[in-house]
Amino acid sequence: MESLQGLIDGFGIALGANNLLFAFLGALLGTAIGVLPGLGPAGTISLLLPVVYQMGSSTTTVIFLAGIYYGSMYGGSTTSILLNLPGEAASVITTLDGYQMAQKGRAGAALSIAAIGSFIAGTIGVIGLTFIAPPLAEFALDFGPPEYFSLTLVGLVLAVFLSGSSVSKGLLTLALGMILASVGLDPITGKLRFTFASVGLQSGFDFTTLAMGIFGLGEIFYNLEQTDAMGTVTAKIGRLFPTASDWVQSRWAILRGSVMGFVVGVLPGGGGVLGSLASYAVEQKLSKHPEEFGKGAIAGVAGPESANNAASTASFIPLLTLGIPSNSSIAMIFAALLIQGVTPGPFLIVEHPEVFWGVTASMYIGNVMLLILNLPLVGLWVQLLKVPFNILGPVVVLLTVIGVYSTSNDIFQVFVLIFFGVIGYLMRKFRFEPGPLPMAFVLAPMIENSVRQSLLMSRGSLNIFIDRPISATLLGVFAIMVLTQVFKAIRSRKR
Amino acid sequence: MKRFPKVMGVVLTAAMLLAGCGGAKKEAAPPAGNTTTPAPTTQAKAWAPEKPVTMIVPYSAGGSTDVLARVVEKVWSKYVNQPLTVVNKPGASGWEGRDSVAKAKADGYTMFMGYGSGEDLIAPQLRTATFDPIKDFTPISLLSAHSVLFVVPAESPYKSMQELMAAAKTKPINAALSGVGNLMDISVRALAKAAGAEITGVPFAGGGPATTAMVGNQVDIGPGHPSELMPHVKGGRLRILATATPERDPSLPDVPTLKELGINFTNPGSLKGVAMPKGTPAEIVKFYEDTFKKISEDPDFKKGMADAFQPVIYKNSAEFGTLIKSTFDNYTQMIKDLNITVK
Repeated sequence: MESLQGLIDGFGIALGANNLLFAFLGALLGTAIGVLPGLGPAGTISLLLPVVYQMGSSTTTVIFLAGIYYGSMYGGSTTSILLNLPGEAASVITTLDGYQMAQKGRAGAALSIAAIGSFIAGTIGVIGLTFIAPPLAEFALDFGPPEYFSLTLVGLVLAVFLSGSSVSKGLLTLALGMILASVGLDPITGKLRFTFASVGLQSGFDFTTLAMGIFGLGEIFYNLEQTDAMGTVTAKIGRLFPTASDWVQSRWAILRGSVMGFVVGVLPGGGGVLGSLASYAVEQKLSKHPEEFGKGAIAGVAGPESANNAASTASFIPLLTLGIPSNSSIAMIFAALLIQGVTPGPFLIVEHPEVFWGVTASMYIGNVMLLILNLPLVGLWVQLLKVPFNILGPVVVLLTVIGVYSTSNDIFQVFVLIFFGVIGYLMRKFRFEPGPLPMAFVLAPMIENSVRQSLLMSRGSLNIFIDRPISATLLGVFAIMVLTQVFKAIRSRKR
Repeated sequence: MKRFPKVMGVVLTAAMLLAGCGGAKKEAAPPAGNTTTPAPTTQAKAWAPEKPVTMIVPYSAGGSTDVLARVVEKVWSKYVNQPLTVVNKPGASGWEGRDSVAKAKADGYTMFMGYGSGEDLIAPQLRTATFDPIKDFTPISLLSAHSVLFVVPAESPYKSMQELMAAAKTKPINAALSGVGNLMDISVRALAKAAGAEITGVPFAGGGPATTAMVGNQVDIGPGHPSELMPHVKGGRLRILATATPERDPSLPDVPTLKELGINFTNPGSLKGVAMPKGTPAEIVKFYEDTFKKISEDPDFKKGMADAFQPVIYKNSAEFGTLIKSTFDNYTQMIKDLNITVK
């Protein structure tokens, strides 16, 4: 039980006054930036890097930065639920049912269940990090381009489930997402696609900008038309905490979401989104009332929110055990460690046990802090809904613009944001469900690149997808999912 | 109000020099509206910044160029009275940040880190760029160079570069690349050509994912920079076969150069220098090249660089300029020889 001993030592470090303080500051700051639209954890950590590089202790540094990162996952759900404004890819799913719940006066319940789900998922994630990190990391390394291709294919089928009532509109939205994703430098050939000689478009569209435009600004622009929304209360408040029946509907969703999010989150190639997507699809399948999904089903908030928190914890596994940063926030933590003379990688746990175990232990503490911090805040956040739209709308637009500018330092991106706001408005106007768009945007380049990389590796032979066991298994899952849908369609037609 | 004349002097000096460099070189003509003030005595007092200096990193925070900029920032205050602000402008694979410096005022307050990285010298020769990699910048000093190492996964059956190249003549060999049309891509093509072998490059979305593919034994070989690869070499997951530098790397004395192995390809690596907009006055260049010289000798800087697996290689403005030019020309030749196009 080396892990237990390590963990006990870790608590000794994490409970030191300084580390406790920084875990709290990180959690607090993370919650705040998660709530503020536009400012994501990656942007915040990069703004703080100069300060952080000067901090003496590498353990304290990572405790602080990790707190910001997983804290932002707690806060991120707040704007998704209240304002239909997802802060990052993983919380797009939360808007589908969360915002609907808020519209029906159940914002309090949605926020509470998101916080509780995040706490449970975060804790399950840290337990996983404590006891099974190294073997899981090894498993993640077996994922090469063919495996990512097969996994993403499964993800894309799940995204079709998000398309709401009209399949044709859903497919159109999906196609639009894929086209938007192809803008920029083609990573395989280096050719420019759809950039129209604009340097600003050369690196393609940024996901956060796209999501905030289509969801947040689109919603605000649309509301401008509803004259009755001007100056009136946007929604009823209702009770703050979930009812017993809410809890019954959510508890298994939280557990399933945690496990799925954790397993997929270990993958360095962007597991977080797939985790929350998979969780949403699974809950919809298992639910006794699948028709409620997209109209304010609490399980549709609880599952994906848990999944994205478990995934954020899991993303520390490749960093701490292999030295592989799986996203931009983690890459900055990697740099902060390097600059303080600590090399993240397989030897970290041996050479710097105080970092590994101190940080792990601090995550247990940080999750408790976040729960205590967030539950009472639910009452405060829902008050936001009382703010008249003619004040709230402009403030949100302003914050979004600042957020986008501060991460890119580029005015062009602000115009991109507004452009997506207009697209989002048009989608609402013509009753297109925006959900599949961001999913396609995230998944399409993953599919495209992984299939081309795989075929380069195999000199064009498709066998590479079935010769490799993990890829073959995932393709089997894909086939089963497609076939069941087809059979269902045939059966319903016969009736 | 006390500072006012001094500021005026600097502004006027900069304006004069700007005017001088802008169009026809009429050194004597003072700018309009400057008839009463005597010409600023630049020799009497050396130039020094009077407001915060911006260093643009044309890549995202956390990358190796960013780390270098942060290590500079850490010791900056020991040598300069004004603070240094590091700004990440990652757009368009490093072009956005460079473009903004190319169009900035040559007043000594805007510089960028990462001049000579590779894509700024190679990519503009493949695609139309909004800046000229040579003419639009004033080289200030070189601080580091990230050499190109060739590694294989620890599980790989190939113990040496010769074994691998021999195998590449009969078996399909894949290399993980951090992108296409960049230094890594060119290096692998040049290696294959020099060894008379065939290697298929598999481009990934950046150095991180490419390294992950090498560590995960998804490919046979990979080129990469020490800062990306050394953590995994230390961790026993990657084995270094050779370095593309002309001489052996002092920090890796056991690693042979390609040249020693009879493979005729050398590359100075990804140069990590500081540059300012074209037409930056000589006294400002002098100030910064001296500052960076002091920084490059600072023990804290050296330690920070060693921790980040980055060598400290200082060159002054003139030396660095020559190196940039020769490297640029070398890439022009390679692009021609290897017949690389992206169009």
